[in-house]
Amino acid sequence: MNRNFYLELAARGVRMPIGADLVLHEEPDPEAARRDGLSLGRVIERAARRWNTPIAMPLMDLRLEKIDLLALASIPEHEAEAYQFSAPIDEQTMAALCDLSSYSFCAGSIARDQAIAHIATFPDLLPVGMVIGPFSLATRLMRDPITAVALAGMAPDEQPSPEIELLLQCLRASEAAVLRSVRAQMRHGARAIVVCEPAACTAFFSPRQLKAGSNAFERFVMGPNQRIRAALDQAGCDLIFHDCGELIDSMVSDFAQRLHPVILSLGSSRNLWDDARLVPSDVVLYGNLPSKSFYSDAAMPVETVVDLTRQLITRMQACGHPHIVGSECDVLFVPEAKHAILAKVDAIMSCAAPMISNCSTP
Amino acid sequence: MAVSNSELYDAIVTGDARKAHAATQAAIAAGTGPMEIISASMVPAMNEVGRLYEAEEYFVPELLLAGRAMKSAMELLRPLIAASGLKLANRVIIGTVKGDLHDIGKNIVASMLEGSGFEVIDLGADVPPEKFVAAVEERDPHVVCMSSLLTVTMPAMRTTIQALESAGVRHKVKVLIGGAPVTQQYADEIGADGYGDNASLAVSAVKKLCAVA
Repeated sequence: MNRNFYLELAARGVRMPIGADLVLHEEPDPEAARRDGLSLGRVIERAARRWNTPIAMPLMDLRLEKIDLLALASIPEHEAEAYQFSAPIDEQTMAALCDLSSYSFCAGSIARDQAIAHIATFPDLLPVGMVIGPFSLATRLMRDPITAVALAGMAPDEQPSPEIELLLQCLRASEAAVLRSVRAQMRHGARAIVVCEPAACTAFFSPRQLKAGSNAFERFVMGPNQRIRAALDQAGCDLIFHDCGELIDSMVSDFAQRLHPVILSLGSSRNLWDDARLVPSDVVLYGNLPSKSFYSDAAMPVETVVDLTRQLITRMQACGHPHIVGSECDVLFVPEAKHAILAKVDAIMSCAAPMISNCSTP
Repeated sequence: MAVSNSELYDAIVTGDARKAHAATQAAIAAGTGPMEIISASMVPAMNEVGRLYEAEEYFVPELLLAGRAMKSAMELLRPLIAASGLKLANRVIIGTVKGDLHDIGKNIVASMLEGSGFEVIDLGADVPPEKFVAAVEERDPHVVCMSSLLTVTMPAMRTTIQALESAGVRHKVKVLIGGAPVTQQYADEIGADGYGDNASLAVSAVKKLCAVA
């Protein structure tokens, strides 16, 4: 792990959106490009060069691990996104879902991995992989994950319910799926992995329950992510941790101090300059301009984006914490709002300090 | 005057489904009518849950647990309501728009609406405009609620409103929209009648719309 590389980028004032989706939609056939490794690799390369960053941030497609996981239970790709388990999973299916030796991946995952290999051919770019976090993936496998988490977080005398049993199974299967994906991406040359855990937030974990002593966040989020982190460490791969959900301070502290990523990326609900006190000085904070509202000129005019960017830069400089200016999440392409979104990304990139060029990878 | 069943009220506020079920059974056995149980205990309980949420003492998990407790009570009351020929005050159709599979927010709003005495017809997630139109034509609701979590699926809200207009039924219903990226400005822009910034405010907005519908 080379923390200095990221700290230097922050010190140089690098800015970058998570914007591969915007570039992907410049392709004549974006869906074809998404499933073709070389085309996708070129998209990611173009995105990095456009925003003048050595961090080749990949496309944020958080569907892939679910597709690959459910394929092991013979659920076809076109049914995967909507598929949810409604009752505890039988042992045979669980064994298949948790099989770490499986190397069966969908076209999108294969393209993602080949794109990483393409990026790895450029010495000035850092090949970065991406996975959905184990808890967030588990929530996508269930009909009602919030209730299951809430029931698990209730008083200790609460009897184990089928909902909790299913949650634990989904979490085990998800951790295996994430590990398979991480290993595949590292084999293809990823030197950092972004773990996206947007469901690890107050929508799923009640601060009221946590305050009352519930260990649900520890069991369902921290435990699995610490094991993923250990796998990355073992391979010498950097962890970039992303969570754009609504968080409380203890969640930010846990991510920053116990997972100790090279970069911590948070949503716009957080004031990064306040969070700096929770985050070790060798963890770069990333973000967190409100890109989810960029589609609307009424809700988020360009002038507001400029003001927010300047305010963020000023406050982060004042608090002295290493920071890379960027978006709160993936900046998605919305056809009818294309120009509004691009104008705001341009505003982030150009509204203050000088641009950095020719950054070298570690 | 309706007398509140404090056990049922407490069970819903604390999100205890088993206690809510037992308290409802006891109330029915004691001869309390279903509409009285709803109006005297369930509606005040869900109002209190909404208040606690607005005060940031409750969070989404508490809303869902309360909704689950309320549902366990409604399971017992629904057949009695149907058998007696009674009707709940207002009917709401709710769904997540086409292309969007996220239904947690929609489910919370549906639960809270039901707990507030509305008849809720949940169309599910990834609902195409024509399904909203068919439901309006067949079920004659007072309000249509649409949810979307993603910026890329938000345009389906506009498309659905246009489909209601094309089918000639837009004037019959009020339309409320919500979801993480949705704003009041967007609601105004696409011609929705209302907007809920969160589940609790969505319920308040539906109540207001029904008052003027």
